[in-house]
Amino acid sequence: MDRRSFLKVGGAGLASTLMGSGMLSWAPRSEAATISKTYYINDGIRAMPDGVSVYFKSYGDTATALSLPASSIICQEGDTLSITVINRLLKTHNFVIGGLKAGDPPLASTGNIASGATGKITLTIPTGAAGSYMFYDNVTSYNRFLGLHGGLAIMPAGSSTTLYTGSPAFKPNRQLFWIFNDIDPALHNAVQLNGTIPTSFTPRYFTINGLSSRPPGATSHGDPTIDALFDPRSRLAGSVGDRTLLRILNAGMCSHSVHTHANHMEWLTNNGVVRSSVWKKDSLYLRNSLGKIDSIYPFMSPPDAYPLVNTGHFPMHLHDEMSQTAGGGLYQFGSMTEIEFI
Amino acid sequence: MAMTTGGGGGGMGGTCYVYPGAPATIGLVTADISFQRGIYMNGSMLMDDGVSVPIWGFTDLTAANGGIGGGNMGAGGGSFPSPAIRVTEGQIVHTALTVNQMLIHTIHHHGIEPSTENDGVGHFSFDVSGGTYTYQWKASSAGTYFYHCHVNTPLHAEMGMYGGLIIDPKPLSTDPAGTKRAFKNGPIYDVEAIWACDEIDPALHTLSLGAGTCGGDVGLNNFHPKYFIITGVDGASSALTNPSVAVNMTLGQTALVRYICAGFFPQKISFGGLTASVVASDGRPLPAAWNTTSIEASSAERYDCIIKPTAKGTYTVTVQFLHWITGSVLGTARTRINVT
Repeated sequence: MDRRSFLKVGGAGLASTLMGSGMLSWAPRSEAATISKTYYINDGIRAMPDGVSVYFKSYGDTATALSLPASSIICQEGDTLSITVINRLLKTHNFVIGGLKAGDPPLASTGNIASGATGKITLTIPTGAAGSYMFYDNVTSYNRFLGLHGGLAIMPAGSSTTLYTGSPAFKPNRQLFWIFNDIDPALHNAVQLNGTIPTSFTPRYFTINGLSSRPPGATSHGDPTIDALFDPRSRLAGSVGDRTLLRILNAGMCSHSVHTHANHMEWLTNNGVVRSSVWKKDSLYLRNSLGKIDSIYPFMSPPDAYPLVNTGHFPMHLHDEMSQTAGGGLYQFGSMTEIEFI
Repeated sequence: MAMTTGGGGGGMGGTCYVYPGAPATIGLVTADISFQRGIYMNGSMLMDDGVSVPIWGFTDLTAANGGIGGGNMGAGGGSFPSPAIRVTEGQIVHTALTVNQMLIHTIHHHGIEPSTENDGVGHFSFDVSGGTYTYQWKASSAGTYFYHCHVNTPLHAEMGMYGGLIIDPKPLSTDPAGTKRAFKNGPIYDVEAIWACDEIDPALHTLSLGAGTCGGDVGLNNFHPKYFIITGVDGASSALTNPSVAVNMTLGQTALVRYICAGFFPQKISFGGLTASVVASDGRPLPAAWNTTSIEASSAERYDCIIKPTAKGTYTVTVQFLHWITGSVLGTARTRINVT
């Protein structure tokens, strides 16, 4: 079949390409497809770990859903993305798919979408575009970290185990987005109330895929809709040998240090650029404001355990420890998730 | 937020969401090498401007306080940084931490990857209190690591509760006695420096052990460092000449600089015009050496740098501390490599 004879994917077929929860599953195709998705720009309130209510905007899955971050999209080179964005808010917004590498022009954009209007992107993914992307609103400098962001994964055509052609392999259906954000409620409140936008930022809450962690004993510990330790979009669970691709994006204003326990990561890319050699790192420097890293968590038996173990629970957390707090205290209520060796 | 009671989230002396215990070590065997660590929380560091900043840390319960350099011996406290843990690749290691029942701390051997119980992260296992816990682990990969407390970490690590952790490779039978290598079959060095670069916000050094853990704003998100130090020595001027930090070498010698980003903010280290051959990072050899005159690092990264000057001189090394949002330089610590 001619690769340009697109296979229309819709209805139940979208379950494998548009991800709202859990690891990104992916079945490669020999033919290209059209991947359709509708986002609704909306707003809402979310409670922070200390009970403070904070205003957010999002690319919602439904007309009323606050989706933080937006549901991610996975597709392959050659596919056509058909994205519809409906602006349900009073302000003008947009939807931009950032370039692969820092400094690259955007992959696509809706252009400005006025209040009540609809924007569209129709894009055929070129060969060589495989990688991790963030889509976001850049009408203002701050809309992105108000919540208007999400992840796009472009797979090499026909592959289910590589980030880019020839990359180290991960296991099929084992890839996650870890999208970090930092929240300064003063900014969010100013936007909500049409007030003066602050000129400096002091984040007080820190999230991975829109949630903060809750330690044992805390209300909502273990609730996957609230506790980032148990959020299936973030939680890194697997058995020895379950090599997992981590697509790490920074929507926020702060740089971070991404630290995994139990295994070093294999560091594949930095800001979209394929590294000339793969380093094994336990801490990775994630640049602020659209920083990106791709790495593989190898799920090896923890190498320094004695006696040998193949099961256990460990954290992935940011090592800039301010990010592990909420509201100026509450250590362990920040940007962290769980690594589980099953 | 209401403080929970009982279970893992029980409060303890004004500290919430801690998990006190001192259980027996699972699968305990006789170690090849052992370390005993206690706690001090009454130390201090005298800065170059005359200000004394409170410091906490780990003590060596078997010896007089011996740090990894630094030389700041806080009155009534211990060394800062805390005494180094230095072992040989392949050894089974015990780090026994003793904490009295009024306190709560752990040791996380950063970059060492043991079982859950020996990882030192309280909410995945337990925090040490009211006894001694022996962390058991195997030193599998030679390189540069560090250890730190993982309780209320934005405070405890900031207070100084960290020390160096070095795994040396096993000596090669073909090497002359005394040969020092960065890792197995790695480069040979003559002179070693351990530069743990850190920033200090003195406003946080007035807080109590469990500050903020039960809720309330104690400013742990809002970091304003005023001092910038290298291995426990003020980088404003003292580190330029302090013999535990500054490197003195002769032309023809090779130095191994073990650079540890021990602070929270990103850093940029520049080697005074010298080129470093970076041979390992985070305790793992690099596939190929990376030659550079500077490194930007984020919190807890380590870089092992081989430096072999080609000319005599005094090279001023700078460590810039960068704001995590603006990237602006908040301060600079300096030391020297003196080549005679």
